[in-house]
Amino acid sequence: MATDVQYVPPPLQDIPTAKEKKYDRQLRLWGASGQIALEETHILLINNGPGVTGVETLKNLVLPGVGQFTILDSTVVSEADLGVNFFLEDASLGKFRAAETVRLLMELNPGVQGYAVTEPLETFIAQDNVFAPYNLILVTAPIDPTVLAQIQTHAQTLQIPTFYIHCVGYYSAFSVLLPPAFPIVDTHPDQTATTDLRLLKPWPALVQFAKEKTAGLEEGKLNAQEKAHVPWVCLLLHYLEQWKEEHDGKLPESYPEKTEFRKLVRSGDPHEENFDEACAAVLKSLNPPTPDSSVREIFNAPETQNLDATSPPFWVIANAIHQFYTTHKQLPLPGAVPDMKAQSADYIKLQNIYKTKAREDCAEVLENVRKLEKNTSRSPKLAIDNKEVENFCKGAAHIHLVRGRPFQVVQAGQPVRFGDRAKAMAMELTMPESLIGLHIAFLAWDEYIATHSSPASEAGGQALKVPGSGVDDFESDTEKVTGIAHTILDGLIKEAGTFVEDPEYSDVKAKVGEFCLEIVRAGGGELHNIASLTGGLVAQEVIKAITRQYVPVDNTCLFDGVASRTGVLRI
Amino acid sequence: MQRRGRDSGISQSLGKPLTKRVKESRVLLVGAGGIGCEVLKNLVCCGFGSKQSGLDSAAPDVRSGPAATAFRQPGIVVIDLDTIDLSNLNRQFLFRKQHIKKPKAFVAKETASQFNPSVNIEAHHASIFDSKYNVNFFEGFDLVFNALDNLAARRHVNKMCLAADVPLIESGTTGFNGQVQAIKKGVTECYDCNPKPVQKSFPICTIRSTPSQPIHCIVWAKSYLFPELFGTSEEDSTDVGVTESDNAEEVAKLKVEAEALKSVRRMMGKSEFAQEVFDKVFQDDIERLKSMTEMWQSRTPPESLRYEALKAEMDADIIKRGQALATQDQATWSLHDNLAVFCYSLDTLSSRAQSGEPVIEFDKDDKDTLDFVASAANLRSHAFGIPLHSEWEIKQMAGNIIPAIATSNALTASLCVMEAFKIMRSQPQEQNGLSKPTANNNLPTTTQTAISGKVEPTLGGAKMVFLNSRSTERMITTQGLVAPRPECPVCSPVYAKLAVAADSSATLQELVLLLQEKVGYDEFSITTDAGVIYDPDLEDNLPKQLTEYASAAHGNSFITVTDESDEAKVDLALSLTVTPTTSGGAATLDIIPQHISLPLKPQKAAEADGAVDGDADSAPVPASAGAKRKRDAEEEVESAKKRAKAGKAEVQEIDDDGVINLEDD
Repeated sequence: MATDVQYVPPPLQDIPTAKEKKYDRQLRLWGASGQIALEETHILLINNGPGVTGVETLKNLVLPGVGQFTILDSTVVSEADLGVNFFLEDASLGKFRAAETVRLLMELNPGVQGYAVTEPLETFIAQDNVFAPYNLILVTAPIDPTVLAQIQTHAQTLQIPTFYIHCVGYYSAFSVLLPPAFPIVDTHPDQTATTDLRLLKPWPALVQFAKEKTAGLEEGKLNAQEKAHVPWVCLLLHYLEQWKEEHDGKLPESYPEKTEFRKLVRSGDPHEENFDEACAAVLKSLNPPTPDSSVREIFNAPETQNLDATSPPFWVIANAIHQFYTTHKQLPLPGAVPDMKAQSADYIKLQNIYKTKAREDCAEVLENVRKLEKNTSRSPKLAIDNKEVENFCKGAAHIHLVRGRPFQVVQAGQPVRFGDRAKAMAMELTMPESLIGLHIAFLAWDEYIATHSSPASEAGGQALKVPGSGVDDFESDTEKVTGIAHTILDGLIKEAGTFVEDPEYSDVKAKVGEFCLEIVRAGGGELHNIASLTGGLVAQEVIKAITRQYVPVDNTCLFDGVASRTGVLRI
Repeated sequence: MQRRGRDSGISQSLGKPLTKRVKESRVLLVGAGGIGCEVLKNLVCCGFGSKQSGLDSAAPDVRSGPAATAFRQPGIVVIDLDTIDLSNLNRQFLFRKQHIKKPKAFVAKETASQFNPSVNIEAHHASIFDSKYNVNFFEGFDLVFNALDNLAARRHVNKMCLAADVPLIESGTTGFNGQVQAIKKGVTECYDCNPKPVQKSFPICTIRSTPSQPIHCIVWAKSYLFPELFGTSEEDSTDVGVTESDNAEEVAKLKVEAEALKSVRRMMGKSEFAQEVFDKVFQDDIERLKSMTEMWQSRTPPESLRYEALKAEMDADIIKRGQALATQDQATWSLHDNLAVFCYSLDTLSSRAQSGEPVIEFDKDDKDTLDFVASAANLRSHAFGIPLHSEWEIKQMAGNIIPAIATSNALTASLCVMEAFKIMRSQPQEQNGLSKPTANNNLPTTTQTAISGKVEPTLGGAKMVFLNSRSTERMITTQGLVAPRPECPVCSPVYAKLAVAADSSATLQELVLLLQEKVGYDEFSITTDAGVIYDPDLEDNLPKQLTEYASAAHGNSFITVTDESDEAKVDLALSLTVTPTTSGGAATLDIIPQHISLPLKPQKAAEADGAVDGDADSAPVPASAGAKRKRDAEEEVESAKKRAKAGKAEVQEIDDDGVINLEDD
């Protein structure tokens, strides 16, 4: 009956005790499998500008024990760096910023290995297969857009999750490039959302148990103690039978019917805790379990439909579960039973009934998996682990698929395209809470850099011209960036084939203009706490991508520090 | 690229007037743990308290004049009672392995000072409950940050900040979630305006006689058995209480049982100690329970365990086996395994007690104590037919472990500092650096301040901010600040100080007269932490000296004056301050400030409007609230624009508060 225990992730056979103690508080969130994935990761940070958002991100990954990290930065530490980068110290002046930052970051966790690359970015990316050692890439703005485009191409080829990060003044944003198919089994849904008790379609063992526990209930043959300890699951099953008899075999479906049904349950006893629990469960437990759209999307995905000998296990199991669903019109039973008022012995029996059924369902899925392996002539070396199937069955109702999308890389002289997202993004323009205006302002900021910086051959962090960074170009740069932003805005409306009427159009333009003004005013400078916050957000998403747990941002997250809130857009 | 000074990036974003205020500020950070480390780094890097006051004394000071003597030393004060533990290092980034067991406050100061050498950090390794942290102490700050992990300390700092009328930024995290709340007396809800969930307490009979869940056995092992053997008795435990459902007769028997255990405790150090304890609690006590047949009519009775019988089935060296098993904390130990760990941990703990540790307290991070609690809980579970658990699982339940990660702390701390900027921007300038009277106690609640025709949002637009980084759609969201709850017992009183000279012979009678004269009370009562000391029908205490109450009140607690008349005024909460000695003609008893006018207690009906700035009335955001919020944000940008112009064009403009024309430095 220990509900608390159900929240603990699987045991940690593979992690030695001292380490386990150090990471105790996080292991209770992502478990040993997440920790192992983190430790097998090598992150590359491409830090071209003076900002520290990338370093803040790494700090939040070094602490929980990422395996390795590399910082690519060819800049030498200046006085200005000491003011913004809390890691650097006076003695760092004149040394490579990458090397100094790596050294100081490594002090945070002796278990983490860091490396510095101080060669210029342009020559670095010109080498063959240079991104192969890394599992994840972080790129911070400002960066030469042609270089960003090259990085994107490499990342797409190698299917390496990549983050592109902006942080200017009160504002920040990051986009995530994930592989075209990024499935997640362990989404950690809310505990309340995962309970599936099958009360509308009980199987014989459960029906039998409920009958035993409620025998004599109506006749008043149970003593007070027994009556107060009938598990609420049994109570609901008992009254459902009664309801069906009185309603031509139909279940309570509509809201008024369920309310009526609740009265029936309540008539059994006015005070007892188990009856309270039963009444409270009526509305949420009596829904036919239909898989939500993201699960159906996975069932119908081409990867699920067209298996071959080397299909990743996820798709094979998805296919096997789809077969199960076609046969039974329901997903495999997860098998967990929430805590409830009951005798210990009864509760254990009930748990076993659910566990047994879950095991049977899982066995059937496993059988389907083995057949699929045979039919696709899968090599025995690639045989899918029973554990993986079991885990998938438990979370089948909450599996998730992200279709990674490329960054919008702004190129000088080319209009910004929104493609198949143009219509949806044009809709965002008219939503007062949307942060699409901030995204457009950052696109304009990038385009300013693309058109005002020296050619790529000479480019490096220092050669990039950031709006507002000069002594007296604030007003002219604001005008330029706002102008670019308004062009992007009009282009989006046109691409979507729509119109935005006044006064909404003027409002949107004004809002975009305000964002532009603010980010130009900052002159490319970061506000420390916003950089720190952005580092927290990005690191959190990096952990999601690495551990393949939790649902990640898809694909752009914007933060407005003035309003202290985030917005997520799929661009 | 042009060369920049240390803080030019900051002033470019904040504007020069706010940057100046930030640099001149004196702030208090309570807690140097997960959030505290991150807040401290942000404060240091943003330049809080970095102005070297001595260095530019030549600069014209708008605050010069009589009040200049009360000028505050800019800086950051950090207070933490804790020392560093290995399990902190996955997120508390100011600490390294070599710092384990050192005070958090000192190490945090040492590490953070390197980030910005011009910041003045003061570190206190102390409890915030200490009497030296009285109302006067809190009044010395522009802003207080709570970065605490427990309810009691949060509530205490909340009250002290209300009494000192200093804005407080309250924060907390749990796993992927976090929350930040700005609190200001008379303007927003305080921490106690909403009731907080109380710690779960189990009926004593469930724990001691009729456990049905693993947690019952864990609480038994942790809060009864362990303290009876190695610590102070269970009467102090908050986990267990005698409730109405407890049978009085049974409670009395349990007392006898505990006495018997105390005599077993005297066997400690002898080789048969483990067996004595085992047979006492798992055989004799269980047999006694089992014999009470009426208790087991509808329950399955427990089965007692026999040490000799179990031992006979095991290898000779039980302790060695226990020691080996104790490292396998993810496995669920068998009955015999648990006996082995039980013997091993009793052996270890006994030698610790024998070698001079008079009291050993259960601590989830003290492996010996955890071994004992886990094995004893499992043995009891076995006796009662309750499923056994691994030590790893038991640790979470016994230690109330809250998952914690670096990212949530970094996010929450950054949000705290963002709210700090907003609040500092909104504070009237004269509060900076002046010892201010607690005068705004007397003002009616201001919901919005109209300055120069422009409506300023509450506390500069500060919000309740919520973090949920597990979700993707609503990772960081806000809700408007809510007006104080008029019936809140913590923030509805007017706070003032009662100064009593140490050698004063003033009596309660004199205080009663003083209150009647100063506040114009008719019928009223006076209450201390210990209870009512005066009311119209209780005059016994009148001759007692006030110093008697003052010393009992620890210097940072309050006495409350309650109006008992029909048209009652709000309560008056007096913090007792013992002043050194009377110097000449000064009064030995005084209420500060001199003028106190108490508003009437609110009528129940007149509380309709709860929201301060109109967008906080409900959690699911209604359309109109969204629009309002948008307007707030726009105002913010609007004023930022003004700042921008002021900063860029080097033109002196009215500061965005419109209160005082600040000089650019």
